[in-house]
Amino acid sequence: MLERRLYYHIDWALIAALAALCAIGMAMIYSTTGGPTKLYWTQVYAVGLGVLVMIAAGMVDYRTLADKSHILYIGLVLSLVAVMFVGSKQMGAQRWLDLGFFNLQPSEFAKATIALVLAKLLGESRRQSLSNNELLIAAVLTAIPVMLIARQPDLGTAVTCLPILLVVTFAAGLPLKYLAAVSVVAVLTMPLAWQFALEDYQKERIETFLDPEKDSRGAGYQQIQARITVGSGGVWGKGFRQGTQGQLRFLPVAHNDFIFSVLAEEQGFVGVIVALGLYLFVIMRSLDAAKLAKDRLGSYLVLGVLATFTFQVIYNITMSAGLAPVKGLTLPLMSYGGSSMIATLAGFGLILNVRMRRFTN
Amino acid sequence: MAIAEDKRRLALRVTVIQVVVSVAFLALVGGFWFFQVGQHAKFKEMAENNHQRTLPLRAPRGIIFDRHDRVLVENRNSFNISILREQSKDIEQTIRMLAELTRTAEFDMQDTVARHRGEPSYRPIVVLQNATLDQVAAVVSRRHELPDVLVQEVPTRQYPSESMAAHLVGYVGEANEAQVAKSGYSLGTIVGQTGVEKNYNEYLMGQDGARRVVVNSLGREISELGEEMPVEGRALRLTIDYDMQKALEEAYRFYKYTGAAAFIDPNNGDVLAMTSLPAYDPNQFAVGIDTATWTGLNKDPLRPLNNRLIQGTYPPGSTFKILMAVVGLQEGIITPASRVHCSGGGTFYGRYFQCHKKGGHGSVDLRHAIEKSCNVYFYTIGARLGNKIDLVHKWAERVGLSGRTGIDLPNEVPSFIASSEWSKRVRKQPWYPGETVSVSIGQGAVAVTPIGLAMFAATIANGGTLYEPHLVREVFDGTAWKPVPRPEPRSRSSMDPEHVKAIHEGMWMVVNAAGTGGRARMPGYDVAGKTGTAQANISLENLKRLSGDAARRFRDHGWWIFYAPSTKPEIAGVVFTENSEHGYLGAPIAKHVLETYFAKKEKRPLPVLTDPNAPSPTLPARGAAAVPGAGGGR
Repeated sequence: MLERRLYYHIDWALIAALAALCAIGMAMIYSTTGGPTKLYWTQVYAVGLGVLVMIAAGMVDYRTLADKSHILYIGLVLSLVAVMFVGSKQMGAQRWLDLGFFNLQPSEFAKATIALVLAKLLGESRRQSLSNNELLIAAVLTAIPVMLIARQPDLGTAVTCLPILLVVTFAAGLPLKYLAAVSVVAVLTMPLAWQFALEDYQKERIETFLDPEKDSRGAGYQQIQARITVGSGGVWGKGFRQGTQGQLRFLPVAHNDFIFSVLAEEQGFVGVIVALGLYLFVIMRSLDAAKLAKDRLGSYLVLGVLATFTFQVIYNITMSAGLAPVKGLTLPLMSYGGSSMIATLAGFGLILNVRMRRFTN
Repeated sequence: MAIAEDKRRLALRVTVIQVVVSVAFLALVGGFWFFQVGQHAKFKEMAENNHQRTLPLRAPRGIIFDRHDRVLVENRNSFNISILREQSKDIEQTIRMLAELTRTAEFDMQDTVARHRGEPSYRPIVVLQNATLDQVAAVVSRRHELPDVLVQEVPTRQYPSESMAAHLVGYVGEANEAQVAKSGYSLGTIVGQTGVEKNYNEYLMGQDGARRVVVNSLGREISELGEEMPVEGRALRLTIDYDMQKALEEAYRFYKYTGAAAFIDPNNGDVLAMTSLPAYDPNQFAVGIDTATWTGLNKDPLRPLNNRLIQGTYPPGSTFKILMAVVGLQEGIITPASRVHCSGGGTFYGRYFQCHKKGGHGSVDLRHAIEKSCNVYFYTIGARLGNKIDLVHKWAERVGLSGRTGIDLPNEVPSFIASSEWSKRVRKQPWYPGETVSVSIGQGAVAVTPIGLAMFAATIANGGTLYEPHLVREVFDGTAWKPVPRPEPRSRSSMDPEHVKAIHEGMWMVVNAAGTGGRARMPGYDVAGKTGTAQANISLENLKRLSGDAARRFRDHGWWIFYAPSTKPEIAGVVFTENSEHGYLGAPIAKHVLETYFAKKEKRPLPVLTDPNAPSPTLPARGAAAVPGAGGGR
């Protein structure tokens, strides 16, 4: 299926950057969990599995995939519904489907699927600009899985799906006045949302973010510890496996949500610059792919996949420096987590797919 | 072309996204720069405080020996249970659980924690000192539920039992805020609070050490970073003789008196034994006294926290007659041979003053006046002095009866002897000659401490050299005993040896002839002395209304000053017995201690008190002689 010609258009630079980020992530997990533990090997297997999925997602022409996107979408919604009924509960949330050998988290695959569906919907439109009808359909298609995920409850993952809608419609020509209107409405409804929509624990998290000292033992603890972790790293860091904050468990879930804090502690500002540079390279290189894409479908698909990735990277890194409210959001490519790794690599499979087929018909 | 325009718009919008992402990344770089470079020092310290803990290691205090290397105060190990608030998730819960496990009052623990609230949270707050093994076991077994609780073995002061020498050695306690501010001790340091413990704290204290350890977020120790060993305090060798000290307090208990006493070597000022009774148990302070016991000690009408020896002032009574003899002889008012006729009283400056013997002593010279404690003889000296009270004050200063003795104990109160300057400055009236007559038998504007009278007795015994009493002979500097320099004699007053001889003879007769101190007689050892009565401050009318214990508490106090052997004195001092009414009732206490002293010196078995007819004090009717202001001397 993969023509020899396409092989020459594979973006090896992007793949190298992705590999480097995965390697850094694995090293940090190795460091913070105390050596080659079960967690570490799970991550190694997840990367291996992710590479296979990435290859699969790259081999089939993205246009063929887009044509089948409705099937993927229905599969996603069904699995999310299944989670509601037969999902396994962990840490107070019902997010996983127990497949026996692997705990699958369907919500992680929502991102790529939504990107595919929106790209298909808007990319094949005959119109010059985005019609209100299309916008409405796109919004509904996004809202269904988002609400299902939010009910698990997994507000973090649900929120990461919204940038897909925003970026893809923006690229598709969302009138700027809509953008302005949405911003205004968002600002105006914030007090109402605060009053009615947010749960107490969510309000508490935000309050704690604004004044972490107020609850330095409870919710503010992680935020304070994150800043201490990052700040104590200094320019050169404390060295591999020498970080006291991560190693001695002052920072909770260090291998997961706060993997970047561990990197900052052990590898210092230098390590942070390297990792940020790699992420920026990955994003910019992918945006190039969006520009180079042969058709709108390809561009939108790249942008959709990239939107959620970029949002999550920026949010997680901000949070790992204690500069954003603590949310259960992982850092793509580096955090521990099989489903997230596989879904992310699948997304990059799609991006590579679009780029290498930029000359084909 | 629509497609081209489409492409251009897409490219433009993607460029917008690129700019937004770049700005966001730039902001992240800025944020990390701020934390990791700008505020690195602050966060580095916070990270260290997170995982490094400094556990203080208390230094054992120096051991206190008696003059013959018998241990008086030593150290034992006890368990402290502390709360480390830094590790507390819910301190109320921790306190509740600790109180339940150790079966102690939750309120006390809360109170302790509240008192230390202002201290840094990494400093452990000791909530239970001297925990029993059961309590320690109970807490250790629930360790995983109490990550913020620390059990530490610490050296603790072990004082002798039965409150022995309590007012002498004093006690230790945590440095209070004033001490922290003044001496720079760190909070929680154990320092001497009174007695020798306080005065010689710098020697005894030693240097606390510390252990720096790495702990994880559960407070569990991971590894040790370093240990600074505590340095034990320096040992002291006192001038005190353990056996004499024990004999002294045993005698007080045996004869059922409270009071104060000191036994001094008149040739150098060494204090061989001293006491003030009732006393407290310093061991209660060593483990952090509880509020109830503390309040009890403070409210006790017998005031056990008051060191009467150096803090109580009382009229010296007839013991003051010895000073009047010195003044009379040295100032040329009398000679040893001067005679006065006592007919039971006399009129001086228009007022009649009684002698305590109704029929009078007849014609007496100085020696017999001292022997019989004849008031009229000394009234006469007083009357001849007239308003020259300053001569009395001058000689009182020279023999140690005015001001502080300078004993090496904290918070000594000065003895007071009136002077014309004082009369003008404080009373705003001149000194009247008649007042000197009252003063001449130790009444009126004179009040002395027992230690002052002991110093006086020693000075009379040695013929006029004023040695400051002191308690510490030597300090161990780690390799050898180094003498703590004795203070230079404060004065060597030029008392005429003839005068001294006459007074000595009079005081010898008090014990060995027909005098008031016959109960102190020790065949073979020439004891000399003088009795006295210190009038308690209550009118006769009020006294009549009281009965039982209450009445007893207002009875006069007895003085007994002495030295021995009279030919070449080796030991001198004072025995003050509260509410004993008669000075001679204290003499047997002195006798028991002196017997112990001589028995020890001559390597004989120490005496034991076995008198079955120990005097049980009752309230006898008070005769006319006891009218205040008229003849208290007995």
